[in-house]
Amino acid sequence: MQARGARILVVDDEPEILRALRTNLTAHGYEVLSATSGAEAQAAYAARRPDLILLDLGLPDMDGLALVERIRDHAATPIVVLSARGAERDKVRALDLGADDYLTKPFGMDELLARVRVALRHAAHPASGSAAVFRSGDLAVDLERRQVTVGGRQVRLTPTEYALLRAFITHPDKVLTRRMLLQEVWGPEYGTEAHYLHVYVASLRRKLEADPQRPRYLLTDPGVGYRFRTEPSD
Amino acid sequence: MSWDQDAAPSSPHEPGWLGYAAAVAGVAVVSLAIGVILSWARIANVSMLYLLVVLALGTRFGSGPAVMASLLAFFTFNWYFVGPVHTLTVADPDEWLALLLLLAASVVTGQLTAGQRRRADEAHRREQEAVQLYTVGRWLAGAPTLDAALQQVAEYLGRALALQGCAILLVDEEGRLQPRAVVGSEVGGERELPRWLLTADHAPTVAASPRRWVRVVPPARPGAAGAAAAGRFALPLRAGARVLGTLQVVAAPTRPPFSREELRLLEAAADQVALAVERVRLQAEANAAEVLRRTDELRAALLSSISHDLRTPLASIKAAAGSLRQRDVPWSDAERDAFAATIEAETDRLNRLVGNLLDLSRIEAGVLRPEKEWYPFSALVEDVLGRLGPLAADHPVAVDVPDTLPPVLLDYVEIDQVLSNLLENALKYTPPGTPIRVAARVADDALAVEVADAGPGIPPAALPRLFEKFYRVASGPDQPRGTGLGLAVAKGLVEAHGGRLTVESAPGQGTCFHFTLPLGAPPVLVPAEAS
Repeated sequence: MQARGARILVVDDEPEILRALRTNLTAHGYEVLSATSGAEAQAAYAARRPDLILLDLGLPDMDGLALVERIRDHAATPIVVLSARGAERDKVRALDLGADDYLTKPFGMDELLARVRVALRHAAHPASGSAAVFRSGDLAVDLERRQVTVGGRQVRLTPTEYALLRAFITHPDKVLTRRMLLQEVWGPEYGTEAHYLHVYVASLRRKLEADPQRPRYLLTDPGVGYRFRTEPSD
Repeated sequence: MSWDQDAAPSSPHEPGWLGYAAAVAGVAVVSLAIGVILSWARIANVSMLYLLVVLALGTRFGSGPAVMASLLAFFTFNWYFVGPVHTLTVADPDEWLALLLLLAASVVTGQLTAGQRRRADEAHRREQEAVQLYTVGRWLAGAPTLDAALQQVAEYLGRALALQGCAILLVDEEGRLQPRAVVGSEVGGERELPRWLLTADHAPTVAASPRRWVRVVPPARPGAAGAAAAGRFALPLRAGARVLGTLQVVAAPTRPPFSREELRLLEAAADQVALAVERVRLQAEANAAEVLRRTDELRAALLSSISHDLRTPLASIKAAAGSLRQRDVPWSDAERDAFAATIEAETDRLNRLVGNLLDLSRIEAGVLRPEKEWYPFSALVEDVLGRLGPLAADHPVAVDVPDTLPPVLLDYVEIDQVLSNLLENALKYTPPGTPIRVAARVADDALAVEVADAGPGIPPAALPRLFEKFYRVASGPDQPRGTGLGLAVAKGLVEAHGGRLTVESAPGQGTCFHFTLPLGAPPVLVPAEAS
């Protein structure tokens, strides 16, 4: 429970969901604030400055995306959005607007707690590439010498593959939309050429993953983007 | 206007006197030839040469010219070659006999060949009629709509019979005639059903008209002599005792009377049109009945599916939750875990079902808006197979999806679901160990994808309804039971992408689902170098 005591604002207009989340998060040592509308959420945010916001995108009084935008205007407070299945476009927009992660309803409590932990960890230690060598499982990336090894064996990457991998490991465990990845690797003028991205992800998987069909590191978030999953180093 | 029903078929190409002229000319030529021959040698039966002329005339022009040629030959030969020459008297009784034999042989030859000619003509006319009727029938059967067929038939009749106008009018719900096909002028105007059409025995009221023909007398228009002189006729279209409409024909005043064949063509065309109209009406009634039956069936299937597929997980969840709340039973940790696991698994099942139902309602409401982007299909297949991994553990899955395929513009979530539904079907309905194959290739302007299994196949009777929602192939009690939604959803999603989903299956041969996704020109990205 590394983030013991963190204050979480839960915004959802469904009382049953609020109750279940409050019970679980409190049981895991978090302090929980709740709001059932956008107005209440803004008031609670201003008064109590939560460490993380769990935000349902379907609010009765305002568009959840607008709330994401408003909060991002002046704070980097991590935001995890909750949305129904089928609303992939909303998820992607929320992420592009600066939300940190998303969960599709109905979600499992384990998954929710994992996402909350990751988001809080990112907020506490923003990944800055400070470490000279990034390690996860059998993968090691020497950021200074631009060397990649899997299980000690050196892997040759093309410059684009390396740039893509670096984008992933700069945001470990965070979902990255296709637009974010394209712009980070290719430049701000890109955003719709996602098929190239998929080709490079596929080739990275072939070079880094033991079984490219069942990847350990480079996971697909269907309809949203990709996520680099970290593992404890060997 | 009137016509003679028994008028001999007049050959439209040549005047009648031509045959007789040919008879005179032929006899003259042969007589000259005989004269020349006799000056060389005395040949006993040289008069037989006339038979050639008679034969030719009978074949070409019929019996009249042949008989005339026979008589001419008789007299000419007598006059010029039978002694005493230049008289019609004959000295030798043997010569008499020869001459009479010549006459008899010529007449019989002429009659026989003329009979052959008539039969050949008749056969030719019948063949033409058959072709015409076949043409009309084919249009009536093959045109996309009834009106298109009627228009084609009216145009054809107008052309084939050199009519000024031809119209087909059908009786509408109010019992009035509505023109459905009109060609030419001065036609289609009579909207009232003539009274005779409504009488039970439909005796034509204009007695002069033969058979079923009724002459519609045009309103007297002073100064419109042409119109008054034109022949206007109406022929009822009937199916049994019901009058469905009329075939109206306007003939120009200059047109020769209709021949028997032309009348037959018109009557047969009217019969065929009536049959086609009746067939369309019966088909429409049958369709309406079928739609009603299907709607009822669908409603019943929906209720049974909803009650089963929604209630089953709900029952499990409620039982598990209720068990957990029982304070008087000391559940072990493992038992509590099992209850919780049941609740989670059944919730997921319910969620999938609701997801399919929502997709289906979005597809049916036409509000499905694929959020398309360019995607390499091989990457999508890898993702889906990776996700289905545990399910596919019992089946060898062969993948033939080259990395070199061009990217496809698709909604990842939706095509992921199409592929998942098809693969889940193959995994669920084939015995463990059955090989499954996923293949994709470029075919014309589309990506053609195949999901094939070597399983037991689908009964042919089930194939036409396979993609209907809530339709489930009848299976044994130990067979897995689907929701009847997966394929309906897959088809809807593929079609929302502008593709097609089809199936081929034979019992014992396996099942193969094919779908296509249109290809286009993806935006080109210059590979960037790492910054």
